[in-house]
Amino acid sequence: MIGNIMITLATAASVFSVAMYYLTYKGNQNTLKWARIGYHVMTALVVVASALLLHAILNHQFEYKYVFNYSGSGLPTGLLMSTFYAGQEGSFMLWLLFTAIIGLVLQDYTSKRGDLEYRVMMIFTISAAFLLIMVNPALKNPFSTIWSDPTFISTKYLNTSLLSLPFLQQFFFQDPGSNESFVKVGSELVGLLKANGIAISDFIIQGKGLNPLLQNFWMQIHPPILFVGFAMSAVPFAFAFSALLKNDYQDWVKQALPWLTSSMAVLGFAIMLGGYWAYGVLGWGGYWGWDPVENASLVPWIIGVAGVHTMLVQKKTKTEKHPGRFLKINLILSILTYVLVLYSTFLTRSGILGDASVHSFVAPGAIVFLFLLLFIGTFTLMGIIGIIYRWKSLEDMTVSNENVMSRELALFTGAVTLIASALIILAGTSAPIFSTTVEIKFYNELNLPIAIIMGLLNGFSLILKWKLNDGKNIFDNAKLSLVATFILTLLIVFVGGVHELMQILFTISASFTLVANAEVLYRVMKRDRIKAGAYVAHIGIALFMLGIVATSGFTNEKRVDLIKGEPQTVLGQEIMFRGIRTFDQGRKYRFDITVGDQEDQSVVSPVMFVAEFNNSLMREPDILSKITSDFYVSPVSYTEKGSATSDGQKSTLKLNESTDFEGKKILFKKFNFPKEAMAAMMAGEEFQIGALLQIAYNGNIKDVEAIMKSSGGEREFIPLVLEDANLKIDVTSLDASGSLQVVFSNLASGNGVSKEVLTVEASTKPFIGLVWLGTILVTFGFIISTVRRTKESNQ
Amino acid sequence: MKNKYIFGGFIIVVFLGIMGYLFTQTNIKYENDFSKIVNNEATVKATGAWVKEKNYFVDNEKHLFSFYMVDDSGVELKVVYKGTIPNNFESSTSVVVTGKFKNGIFQANEILTKCPSKYESQFEENKNS
Repeated sequence: MIGNIMITLATAASVFSVAMYYLTYKGNQNTLKWARIGYHVMTALVVVASALLLHAILNHQFEYKYVFNYSGSGLPTGLLMSTFYAGQEGSFMLWLLFTAIIGLVLQDYTSKRGDLEYRVMMIFTISAAFLLIMVNPALKNPFSTIWSDPTFISTKYLNTSLLSLPFLQQFFFQDPGSNESFVKVGSELVGLLKANGIAISDFIIQGKGLNPLLQNFWMQIHPPILFVGFAMSAVPFAFAFSALLKNDYQDWVKQALPWLTSSMAVLGFAIMLGGYWAYGVLGWGGYWGWDPVENASLVPWIIGVAGVHTMLVQKKTKTEKHPGRFLKINLILSILTYVLVLYSTFLTRSGILGDASVHSFVAPGAIVFLFLLLFIGTFTLMGIIGIIYRWKSLEDMTVSNENVMSRELALFTGAVTLIASALIILAGTSAPIFSTTVEIKFYNELNLPIAIIMGLLNGFSLILKWKLNDGKNIFDNAKLSLVATFILTLLIVFVGGVHELMQILFTISASFTLVANAEVLYRVMKRDRIKAGAYVAHIGIALFMLGIVATSGFTNEKRVDLIKGEPQTVLGQEIMFRGIRTFDQGRKYRFDITVGDQEDQSVVSPVMFVAEFNNSLMREPDILSKITSDFYVSPVSYTEKGSATSDGQKSTLKLNESTDFEGKKILFKKFNFPKEAMAAMMAGEEFQIGALLQIAYNGNIKDVEAIMKSSGGEREFIPLVLEDANLKIDVTSLDASGSLQVVFSNLASGNGVSKEVLTVEASTKPFIGLVWLGTILVTFGFIISTVRRTKESNQ
Repeated sequence: MKNKYIFGGFIIVVFLGIMGYLFTQTNIKYENDFSKIVNNEATVKATGAWVKEKNYFVDNEKHLFSFYMVDDSGVELKVVYKGTIPNNFESSTSVVVTGKFKNGIFQANEILTKCPSKYESQFEENKNS
């Protein structure tokens, strides 16, 4: 309740702040103070509202629908914190929180730089206002109580000692399918509970819990960092629009650049963390699956990075009279970066990707859908109208001096290739809107040549830069780089065994980028370390590209059955399944596998468990990381000694009906349930029931009996093995009304009949470390650039 | 000046042409009407529900996993997937398989399951559908 008051007041404060900034823009003198107060009040309220939500989560207040749906009381504090953004409502809240806080920094920054503040803050606050409306009670509100819509809650979440209360009985419902009992929790029931002096938090005592896929370290840091990136990407938009409003483009690039580079650092790092999550937890075996949700956040990053390059040209070519080259492109790219962030939000949260992605949200309902459209539509229209309105004056400011060999042209072409790559990914990612999709091949085949061009362009642009500085012949400058590239490529191609033409070209391109940037970085480090950012980032990209060559071309994969205690050589490694350890109060299983021989042995422990959350088997890989390669072990299945194998055909047998399994006919004749057994069962003693089966195979007919023993409430089924029929029958459950659940399997395929067998998928990923190192260097490069551009933004 | 634009325009047209061509080449349609799949050899993404009553079959030796799917109008399809049974198959409400219909069975090379409880509660899902 208080949470919603906070959100409503904050929305009012944000609208007030936008209005006051607008009046200031219109020339009013004393409204700026009010606008600032409005913004600060809004931020304070948002912080309080977020604190309230966190408080509700940490104290397990399951009367909040959000807390009930996404949190649970068994979670450690770290994971409880991450339930804050496990659902749509909370993740909008987190995005809002970061937006509000970043606005404080932006307000300080803009107030120190001329008359920027009221225009930039007006635009930025509009983005905060949209997020505030998104979390209001009519849309995706994290503070709705569970009884705001009558909700059927399973009794397993309720306090059982209260369930016998007489006034509760009218609210009980039984699901005939699952035999589960539900209580209809609505305002009526809540009123009765209150009247009887029972707090809701004593009634609903457990939540649905957090999706097990999100229960890991990477999911604790990936979403928050991504939302910081999303929030920051609104800033370049605000700067571009503010320049359009004033129709003055002299300083905006210099002022916006540190914001663009820093938001790219954050967004890029967040995307990489998502990739690592897919690799280390999801068990994809790869770091990038071209999943629409991943792509959706990659596209704005690529566009933003393209913008960094062309904005540098504008900054360099600026004169007293002209704002510099590529002005229009820069405005458009700055606007587009944020619009694409909103578009990615729309794709992932509108339910439109429903069938296309592993991690999209379920459709949120029509109003939210429309509001998401309104959100993205508003900012798109603002951008388009702004540009069209100023088109004439923008045209007048266009400068053109062509030099084919100029570094500016190389930077521009680099930006164009980035945009082309973004377009490809955008087209593929948007395909589900038209209920179609593309194969992964589409992305790979189109991006490969573009990446090759990009690497070569980058290398040449560096050589060109030095040419302009010292006037020597291009080829004299390039000699060292070219020779080094040649040697490096030869080394990789022959030692690594790269055969395909495109892969070789890709290797050349990556090596050239690496060598050229390393050379420049070496010179820069001696003189001007602050200028190192671009070269560090480009070296990161080059290493990343080499990592792709290695992992895409040379990953080896093999599925093996590991018998406990018997070493096997797999992919050049001696591995052995040692045994199982339980953890997390016996709910999860670690499968210890030793890798390597006596002298150099390590243990990997992939995990499998049945998650209560969605009642399904979860598998988590484990990775043995070495400098030159990762040994990746992903569990598939485990067969215990003498128990029902997972291998086989599950069937339901009905009385007097026969079932086929691989040419054998199995007829369920009758139960063997003598009177003595019946009496023993009634008395609660040990008893056994048999099921008589008739099996017809190869012209033979055989009668057998499957037996279930019961003692002390524990049921045990004894498997039937027919050697000559090559058949094993495991009864898994028995229903006295006349049906049996059984699993048929072959003896030959069930090599786990008498042994413990762990099936795993093992793979080696050569030099995958380059992928992570590369992306970290890119992030680091952007951070160095941010420091440099922040200093310059004041000059 | 003029040449620059002609050259730029040419590059853009070629790029979009290649992209459009590859898009149609790698394009996979979603299909929730299985009667259409049976008469077609193209790769599709079939969406439907797992027929729980018919169970499923796992062949660990050949790494095959097979089950029956049903579409909205009740047409059933036998699916054989080369690979491991997905993590949350048993609790899935809908299944998307990518592959081709051949020799009377749907041969899938990719399988995606949707669980009601994955990101949003089951209740909300029911409310919206």
